[in-house]
Amino acid sequence: MLTIENLVAGYGKVQVLHGISLQVPQGRLVTLIGSNGAGKTTTLRALSGMIQPQSGTIHLGGRNIEGLPAYEITRRGMAHSPEGRRVFPTLPVTDNLLLGAFTRFTGMRPKGDTSADLDRMFELFPRLRERRTQLAGTLSGGEQQMLAMARALMLNPEVLLLDEPSMGLSPKLVEEVFATVARLKEQRMTMLLVEQFAAAALGVADYGYVMENGRISVHGPAEQLRNDSAVRDAYLGVAH
Amino acid sequence: MNILAQLIVSGVVVGMIYGVIAFGYQLTFATSKTLNFGQGEALMLGALVGLTTINFLIGQQIGAFAAYLLMLPVVLAFGLMQGAVVEFLGVRQAIRTKSEAGWIMATIALGIIFKNLAENIWGRDALRFPSPLPEAALSFAGVRIQPMEICIVLGALALMIAVEIFNRRSIYGKAVVATANDRDAAGLMGINTRLVITFSYALSSMAAAFAGVLVAPVTLTGATMGAVLGLKAFAVAIIGGLSSGVGVVVGGLILGITENLTGYYISTGYKDVPGLVLLLLVLTFKPSGLFGSAAIKKV
Repeated sequence: MLTIENLVAGYGKVQVLHGISLQVPQGRLVTLIGSNGAGKTTTLRALSGMIQPQSGTIHLGGRNIEGLPAYEITRRGMAHSPEGRRVFPTLPVTDNLLLGAFTRFTGMRPKGDTSADLDRMFELFPRLRERRTQLAGTLSGGEQQMLAMARALMLNPEVLLLDEPSMGLSPKLVEEVFATVARLKEQRMTMLLVEQFAAAALGVADYGYVMENGRISVHGPAEQLRNDSAVRDAYLGVAH
Repeated sequence: MNILAQLIVSGVVVGMIYGVIAFGYQLTFATSKTLNFGQGEALMLGALVGLTTINFLIGQQIGAFAAYLLMLPVVLAFGLMQGAVVEFLGVRQAIRTKSEAGWIMATIALGIIFKNLAENIWGRDALRFPSPLPEAALSFAGVRIQPMEICIVLGALALMIAVEIFNRRSIYGKAVVATANDRDAAGLMGINTRLVITFSYALSSMAAAFAGVLVAPVTLTGATMGAVLGLKAFAVAIIGGLSSGVGVVVGGLILGITENLTGYYISTGYKDVPGLVLLLLVLTFKPSGLFGSAAIKKV
């Protein structure tokens, strides 16, 4: 579904990714783990067009998308719940969700039943239903995270990119977020999950990639990575 | 007492014009953090295009009122187009290259070009704009007001309310607000934010052109009519805050009324002073404007 080959990207003259290759097959949950500054967020940003890759190829459903602006990539079905949530603070929760479906309202993607999807989001995240008329900027961090995920899902995406959905949340909320990710996996949503909670991410994913200094160091089925001694020592230690 | 009321009423009329132009500044500032320093010229061009159109229609034996109504869509469409041209020629490059001052120089330069163009097409003399309504002033409890002046207030409010409803109700309006909130995140929604910025420029010039044909019947119309209005509206936008819709209306009213009061009670020579003093005070003590708020942002 999503295939990346030799992706090189960075900010200005600083190169962060030195040739990343990875695959997210249809209906699978793939996780990208690694320490701070390894380039996980940069990878997602390059995939969704928030930054322009310097070289390499990105295929989404068999078509090249590298170099396209973010809005074009979104129109091809890539949803990105970005680092820092980036909800629209002066708009109510419901408007944030409707904007997730902007391409569907404007005929760039099949419309489907947007109001049913809105209801589905409120079922998935009951807190959002309670808060639906509240401005997104007044939500708590956890609620904003749920909103960012729900907003991305409103695209009815082919692929969902999740950037550290657990960041800054209480342990209970982290658990909730992972439960939601697991539910989406059951619904066969194709996902690329970036996480610092490596153990939890590998616990829920089908396949994992470990990033180090802008390169993929190890990859394999999640089960196998969980039992890999090098990965355990580096990322699954007591620190997490 | 009547004189005071009269001065306030006239101040409100002028203030609403300032308000609409300042509203235009807000529209582009929200989406792109840039604004069109040729906004006064957008107003002037709107008024002159309106003048040519209405004179043509009146020449076709259409009554002044009907001609005025028929002229409005032409002027609004022209304003949209003119704003898009300003964005395309003056602002887009500056935004792309993240130039801090490029757009300032470019929009000022375009304003001067538009003014020269207007002088060549319509001449340097002030022209009379046919009034769609009777010019005899109505009198309410001793306060005199022209019917067209009432139209200015109502028209200005209607335009601002219409844009506000568009922003709140339609998905395209929400896309504009989203772009103003967070451009990158708006891009992730599939919104072409560059097009949104072009659109906000178009809308901003449309507001100015509309203000132009609102004031034209009660002032003189000509190539130089926009400069002072554009500048005062800029002061209003700073006083009211570049982020607040209510702010520009209140800021406009404050400036319009104080100008009138100072002109009468002190001297017309000092007419502009209180507004500018207020501008300096606001810049010193509340730089985001009287009604401006620091953006809500949680990271």
